[in-house]
Amino acid sequence: MSTTIAQSASPASGVNERRVIIRSVGMKKIYRRGGEVTHALRGVDVEIYAGEFISVMGPSGSGKSTFFNMIGALDSPSEGRVFIDEVDVAQLTAEELAFLRCRKIGYIFQSYNLIQYMTALENVTTPMAFGGVTPDESRKRGMSLLELVGLKERWFHRPIEMSGGQQQRVAIARALANNPSILLCDEPTANLDHRTGDEILSILEKLNRERGVTIICATHDHRMMNMCDRLMWIRDGAIERIARRDEVEVQLASIE
Amino acid sequence: MKAIDVQSQPLLSFAKTLRIALSGVKYRLFRAMVTVAVISVAMAFLMNILAESLIKKTVADNAQEQIADMRRTDRWIARLSIPQTTGELVEQAASDDTDALTNLKALGQLSDDQAGQLHALSRRALTYLHFFADLDYGRRRVLVGSAESTFIFDRLQEKAAQDQFFQRLSEMKTVRFAGEEADFRAFLTEWPVLRDLTARIRAGQAAAIEAIRGQLQDRSLADALRDAGGAFGDVIRDAGFALDADEAARLTEQVGAVADTAIIDASINDPAMRQAVAARRDIMPGDVTPTVVWNMLRDNNEAAWYLERLIENKFGAADLTATEIAARADSRAHAFLLKQAERATVETGGGLMGIGKRMTWLAFVSMLVCAVGIANAMLMSVTERFREIATLKCLGALDGFIMTVFLIEASILGLVGGIAGTFIGLLIALLRMLAMFKGLLLDAIPLGSLLIASGLSIVIGILLAAVSAVYPSLRAARLAPMEAMRIE
Repeated sequence: MSTTIAQSASPASGVNERRVIIRSVGMKKIYRRGGEVTHALRGVDVEIYAGEFISVMGPSGSGKSTFFNMIGALDSPSEGRVFIDEVDVAQLTAEELAFLRCRKIGYIFQSYNLIQYMTALENVTTPMAFGGVTPDESRKRGMSLLELVGLKERWFHRPIEMSGGQQQRVAIARALANNPSILLCDEPTANLDHRTGDEILSILEKLNRERGVTIICATHDHRMMNMCDRLMWIRDGAIERIARRDEVEVQLASIE
Repeated sequence: MKAIDVQSQPLLSFAKTLRIALSGVKYRLFRAMVTVAVISVAMAFLMNILAESLIKKTVADNAQEQIADMRRTDRWIARLSIPQTTGELVEQAASDDTDALTNLKALGQLSDDQAGQLHALSRRALTYLHFFADLDYGRRRVLVGSAESTFIFDRLQEKAAQDQFFQRLSEMKTVRFAGEEADFRAFLTEWPVLRDLTARIRAGQAAAIEAIRGQLQDRSLADALRDAGGAFGDVIRDAGFALDADEAARLTEQVGAVADTAIIDASINDPAMRQAVAARRDIMPGDVTPTVVWNMLRDNNEAAWYLERLIENKFGAADLTATEIAARADSRAHAFLLKQAERATVETGGGLMGIGKRMTWLAFVSMLVCAVGIANAMLMSVTERFREIATLKCLGALDGFIMTVFLIEASILGLVGGIAGTFIGLLIALLRMLAMFKGLLLDAIPLGSLLIASGLSIVIGILLAAVSAVYPSLRAARLAPMEAMRIE
């Protein structure tokens, strides 16, 4: 089954003429729990460009996680629409959603979320198996991905035998398994010490610069703000501000 | 800009799914063991009652034959004391045993036609008698009052009584009568014929019994029967009862055994004998019970010693030998086992594989408890793997894959638990039955049925696990992938 979406006109963007990879239109999310209504998102319109490195910031309870779930095709909005690669996520069947998650988006979690009973290599090759790659091919690709994150020698280790930084590197390799064009990172450095965090960030930066992977990253880490293209603040279920880094740097400098 | 294709996910191969499920089980071995334990306990219970019932049934079948054999003496004494009841005669006449029918015919001095009529009518009567015998007391009371057996037919002779009977029968929705109403009415009009025929047989039997009693010559009937192979056998045959040589020989043998047993039983109550036994066994005279003495007598040397004491105390045991006494003791022990077996197997029959209705119900309840236990264990397994399942879904796993993983996991647990439980249940059943029936068990192990039962309980184990895992695995499959994002 295939879904082809008619292309709409590219939005005029003063800064960038690049392709829009994720677009949300009036995205709202309302949770109802026992009569209590929570407006997690109150209508978010945002465009994220292919090859961009964007940091998302916001205090807890701001709707940041909900925003992530929406643009990561993990949840559907109550109102409004989300387009990933110009495909309306709401129109997709469960199988097509699985396809999308498998190949278009790589997920990196704060707590790594490796499968505990699998070796590093098995963890990396699992999404390939879901994607229908042959075992030989996935082993080859898995090893090269582990080499990319510097863990080629530890392919047979289980998550429990690895440090936090190593686990997160395996998680990055796994997220890259099917060559996704988008990497969705949920505070990838929050559980790591300063030095390991640096390693992870440099890997992400390398992926963004060399492979042109779009990286959307929820973070409180100031180092990440220094390497991203744009920053986005979310507060009370709405976008408070989107700014390019050079603008923010000026501000930060002026505060200092 | 280009149009984007989104295709469906390919399904993962079963082998890969199985491998993932297996490594999941291996990783959570302890939880898996607990679930296996739940399943194996339930399966052990099922297998245990299945195996025990199957063994009991075989034992009961064997025992009933032997007990019927053992009661030959009682049967003959009864037969030679009073005429049979009409019900008994009807049952006998309805059987396809031509010898029995010929004997009845001779006793009642019936013609061939009458004998044929007797057989045909008795067969019809028997179906109705079975119907009334199977009714519970309350219903029978409503339908035919206090009448029992063939007296029911007497009671229903009047047309008014018949009408009332069918009226009440039609009000009992759950009762199915043994035949058509018209047939029964027709039979009732013919019943006097059958009753007269049986009355003639009864009269013949009474005359024969009278003739035999005249030949007893002050002996008791039991005493006289010791000679069943000889002159007294001829007396019985002359009177009109069928007694072939084979039956006579067995009867003589058994009556002899009963008499010998009676002598020893009497001797055990004798103070002098008791004291002698107490001294030999080094126990108190009060502890010399029939069981102790009979157990002692199974040994040939002890039997020989006891025989000397018997003769010493003039118990009229001159024609006994030690081997005979030991043999009597053995057959008494055997008879005791048989009676025990008969008592222990009262409940068998009916229900699943003949394990009895109560046991079927118990097994069903235990399966239910087990299913809840498995469902609980699988739900726990799902709950503690929320993050893992959600992550797999983020990586592109289909709902079907997640569900298959959990169903496979449950089936593996069911298989292991089923095999373990079946083995345990069988072992316990064999040990328990060995303790209960001792020597009787060896001839009564129904290997074929036990194998079928084992296969059945393993299959039930797998099915039970799989069925109870359906809901948990459905929950796992429906889990939202965003659960993976949640921070503990």
